[in-house]
Amino acid sequence: MTTPAYGIDRAGLESRPVEHEVVRVTKLNKTFHKRGLKALDDVDMTLRHSTFTSVIGPSGCGKSTLLKIMAGLIPATSGEILLNGKAVTGPRQDIGIMFQQPTLLPWRTSIENVLLPIEIRSGAAAAQAKRDDALRLLELVGLEGFDHVHPHELSGGMAQRVAICRMLVTGPAILLLDEPFGALDELTREYMNVELQRICRERDATSFMVTHAIPEAVFMADQVFVMSARPGRIAAIVDVDLPRPRNLDMMTTPEFGALVRRVRHSLDMGIDGGGLE
Amino acid sequence: MTQTTQGPRGPAEMSDAEELWYSGKWIDRVPQWVSITVLGLAMLGLWWLIAELMPQNLKILLAGPADTFEELWDTTKNIVSGGHIAEGLWITTQEVLLGFLAAAILGFVLGVVVGETRLGKRAVMPYLVALNALPKVAFAPVFVAWFGFGVNSKIVMALFIAFFPVIVDTAAGLYSVDADTVMLFQSMEASRWQTLRKLKLPSALPFIFAGLKTAAVFSVVGAVVGEYLGGGHGLGELIRLSAQTLRIDRVFALIVYLGILGLILFGVVAWAEKKLLFWHKSEIFEIQGTG
Repeated sequence: MTTPAYGIDRAGLESRPVEHEVVRVTKLNKTFHKRGLKALDDVDMTLRHSTFTSVIGPSGCGKSTLLKIMAGLIPATSGEILLNGKAVTGPRQDIGIMFQQPTLLPWRTSIENVLLPIEIRSGAAAAQAKRDDALRLLELVGLEGFDHVHPHELSGGMAQRVAICRMLVTGPAILLLDEPFGALDELTREYMNVELQRICRERDATSFMVTHAIPEAVFMADQVFVMSARPGRIAAIVDVDLPRPRNLDMMTTPEFGALVRRVRHSLDMGIDGGGLE
Repeated sequence: MTQTTQGPRGPAEMSDAEELWYSGKWIDRVPQWVSITVLGLAMLGLWWLIAELMPQNLKILLAGPADTFEELWDTTKNIVSGGHIAEGLWITTQEVLLGFLAAAILGFVLGVVVGETRLGKRAVMPYLVALNALPKVAFAPVFVAWFGFGVNSKIVMALFIAFFPVIVDTAAGLYSVDADTVMLFQSMEASRWQTLRKLKLPSALPFIFAGLKTAAVFSVVGAVVGEYLGGGHGLGELIRLSAQTLRIDRVFALIVYLGILGLILFGVVAWAEKKLLFWHKSEIFEIQGTG
């Protein structure tokens, strides 16, 4: 078990070092003019280095839209996103993204899938040079020896592990996770969440995860952004100061239960308040 | 759940076995080759019975199984010894193959244009749909007038009938690409060409092969129709002549050879599909439309 310098004792906020900002979102707005829909309304947030942020909200609250704008995949109507001080105006190599489906190419082996982002950006030779890195990543996610296997021979959880490697291979500064384990069964999903926590800690990753499961949002996060719908805005921020590494047993503790209740309460407020202008 | 160890193709085979186990119908418990043989023999018997029961003056219109197999034997001998039927078979084979290849290439190129460009989707596709709605066989005399009584008019006819399914299936395959994976390619800053080559075309391959299998069947139809209406020395012409002289047994024997020709072409395409698309399971006995 590797231990990041500041990592193991995060029980109190006092002992938590203030890390530098990785992402700063300022007054972000998004309106879909065709549908006359204000998807995001003055969203402000800061993501600090090596922290995990969960975003939760009712469907249609714009959380996936927010993630896509942060990924540079769709433009914002107004406002700004800074990633390591540089405005995000389009897709970038230092942004890692992962979807609900593994989106692996079925005709490529695991390692070829992992190396795809390198191959697309820098060509086949560069991908070949990164082969050892890719093998180490597969080892990191527990897929040692599966490098020459095709996706149709992998289980859903294993396929998502390959997708994690593909996201990490370019060494991104931010991981954008769009309900990454939403398509998996409950048991696999819980297990994958524990694994993702381990991987994020080993890589000192800064992560931003969209989810619609409250316990998952709390379990994974250092901070939970609760969004309300129409227009999508951040209704509340719930800080989660449970110690790390977390394990599934923690989900039965009173502290965890209290945090889940706080998130649920904020969600209910957000939904009630969302209809009012 | 009889299988616990899984080979590379494990899960797919297991689900087939399970399907068989759970379906209670007796026909599912009979091996398929048995049901195919039994049905084949039953149809032969029916054919023989109908031919036997024909009134004497109409017997010439329906050759029975025995006469047909005898003629098939003679036809085979003619082909093996390089007689005029061998020549006809070779001519028709050339027409079918060249028509199919032209249809595959033209259909693929137009399919990519239609599936990948807005102009193709919005302007070219409507014309292709309209063209496809026309009875294409009706163009045969035009092609004969343009390309003569030789093999060229038949190749064009085969191409004309066979290329449309390739276009439609190629375009449909390009449209069917998973939206999230396209977004992934955007996030990797992939160029349009990279997205087409590394994502869209491989994803479309199962569709393209479905189109090619249809084209394989249709190109035989096209070549034979061309020969019926435009003469020449191919199998179609031999069938037409045999029918005119009421040699129905020979017609049947020649149709068997046409069927073999179509089956071989279809089989080669299906084999290539199986080799190339190892990640995709396709049914070889898909129901084919007729042209």
